[in-house]
Amino acid sequence: MEIIKTAEDKKLAVEVKGRLDTTTAPELEAALKESMEGIEELTLNFAELEYISSAGLRVLLATQKAMQGKGEMIVTGVNDIVMEVFEVTGFCDILNIAK
Amino acid sequence: MEEIRGQVKEDKVELVVSGRIDSTNAAAAGEEFDRILEGVTPRPLYIDASELEYISSAGLRLILRLRKSFEDITITGTSSEIYEILDMTGFTQMMTVEKAYKVVSIEGCEVIGRGANGTVYRIDGDNVVKVYNNPDALDEIQHEREVARLAMILGVPTAISYDVVRVGNSYGSVFELLDAKSFSKILAQHPEKMDWCVEEYVEMLKTIHGTVVPEGKLPDMRETAIGWAHFVKDYLPEEAGEKLVSMVEAIPHDDHMIHGDYHTKNLELVGDEVLLIDMDTLAVGHPIFELGSMFNAYIGFSELDPQIILDFQGFDHETAQEFWAKTLVEYLGTDNKAVVRSVEDKARIIGYTRLIRRSIRRNGLETEEGRRLIDHWKAELLQLLSHTESLEFTRNELDIEADTENLDAVLAFVDERLEAANCPMKAKMQIDLAVEEIFVNIANYAYRPNKGRAVIRTEVRENPLEVTLTFLDSGAPYDPLAKEDPDITLAVQDRQIGGLGIFLVKQTMDDVKYEYKNGRNILTLTKNL
Repeated sequence: MEIIKTAEDKKLAVEVKGRLDTTTAPELEAALKESMEGIEELTLNFAELEYISSAGLRVLLATQKAMQGKGEMIVTGVNDIVMEVFEVTGFCDILNIAK
Repeated sequence: MEEIRGQVKEDKVELVVSGRIDSTNAAAAGEEFDRILEGVTPRPLYIDASELEYISSAGLRLILRLRKSFEDITITGTSSEIYEILDMTGFTQMMTVEKAYKVVSIEGCEVIGRGANGTVYRIDGDNVVKVYNNPDALDEIQHEREVARLAMILGVPTAISYDVVRVGNSYGSVFELLDAKSFSKILAQHPEKMDWCVEEYVEMLKTIHGTVVPEGKLPDMRETAIGWAHFVKDYLPEEAGEKLVSMVEAIPHDDHMIHGDYHTKNLELVGDEVLLIDMDTLAVGHPIFELGSMFNAYIGFSELDPQIILDFQGFDHETAQEFWAKTLVEYLGTDNKAVVRSVEDKARIIGYTRLIRRSIRRNGLETEEGRRLIDHWKAELLQLLSHTESLEFTRNELDIEADTENLDAVLAFVDERLEAANCPMKAKMQIDLAVEEIFVNIANYAYRPNKGRAVIRTEVRENPLEVTLTFLDSGAPYDPLAKEDPDITLAVQDRQIGGLGIFLVKQTMDDVKYEYKNGRNILTLTKNL
């Protein structure tokens, strides 16, 4: 997995590439934690995310909860395979997924 | 009345004590001992107690008195009653006491199995006796009892003999087998149970092959087979002989158990339990050696004479062929014809090598019939050697430490098999997801706070494409399916972080089954494609 962060004022854009699974999810969690201070708009770009497991979903849910009342979290570029996981788990209703 | 006889030999003294020895005659018996042993220097003393009916404490004191001059005393042939007296009074710890063997008659008893080293008879509804061909079989019996005990401790369900008896001039070991029925009999009487038999037979085979044996406890089949190859080499064209030896030598050492004589007569259904019997050939080694001897049992031995299989197993050649073919598919977890064929070829190489050696050692070259068989096996072997480069095969099971660090290795193992079956990308991702969720659960929870192993088994059927994954662990019994599904309609602040993994698995697989069997959690996932 590769994580590319771009911070600009109160906005943070995070590009996640590859696999978000048991092995890599803790990396994303740590990367987000260290940059979330004062962020009001978080964009997760999943255009090159190939795979997500429940470990990845847990990070998304925790991050979404952390953003509650502070700002907005947007997920972009979701492919079919990842989208299906979001649908099956009801995450498509929780997350703000840009078409 | 008592009677005491004695014989003093150069290297031992033999006393025969019969009848009753109690306070009324102990003094007289003592005098008799003194008379026989007068002036005899210390040497091993044997007391034959097979005709001794009773011994009181007065009699026991006589034996203690003997012990002052003769340290090395052995009492033989004791009845259960006398043995009990000697045991309770501590005599069995002071000297060697051998029990008399119960005498069992097999006249009119049903023969339920005939193996390489003995014949099994049913002596009554609950018991069977295995009578050994070798009249001096006590060491063999001891060996078989030891390996059966080892197998049982390591988790292989087997029957253990509880007594050694005399049968005519031979020895036998007695087993309790309540209403047991061999798989050969089931196949012969109920051909419709073929698929069930194959399933149970392969499950037991996988249990055996999944059992790691501590070093040095069982013989190494690889060494034995290298011996066969060297023997057979001398009867083959030079190049083919060299190839055979080098291929057998290239089979890696393997510390997993193999049975060595795994055919349907050695699998018994007892109630609803399946038990393995005839354990004397137990060894460690690569499973190809097992498949080689299985090929011989169903095909090799009877290839030119179908009557042999009918006499030996009670079912016909066609049944044997079907059973062997289905067993290979089930064991290898694939019905891809080329894959199954290539493993069968390797098994046949081992099988024919063994048959040729066996036959030549039994003077097969000296009879016309023997030469005909050996020529046939040699021709088949040469043909197989010409297009086979290795005796190893890809197994469909991965036995690995259940640790999240091994997730990538597990996924690589599963993906390799999915790719070989041209599994579509999307389904592969869903299966990967399920593998990750289940394996990580086992790694994190099954053995907590310790560590343990997990077995991942893949089965692929091609028409129509169906993938089955089985996860086995020996951790605490846990049914992940019993857990309630998370409520996926809740708002984000109410959603729980856990419980999603198994839910995802249930949603993306077509069938998910859990069972707890023989001390293992077994979770089976099926995906139809």
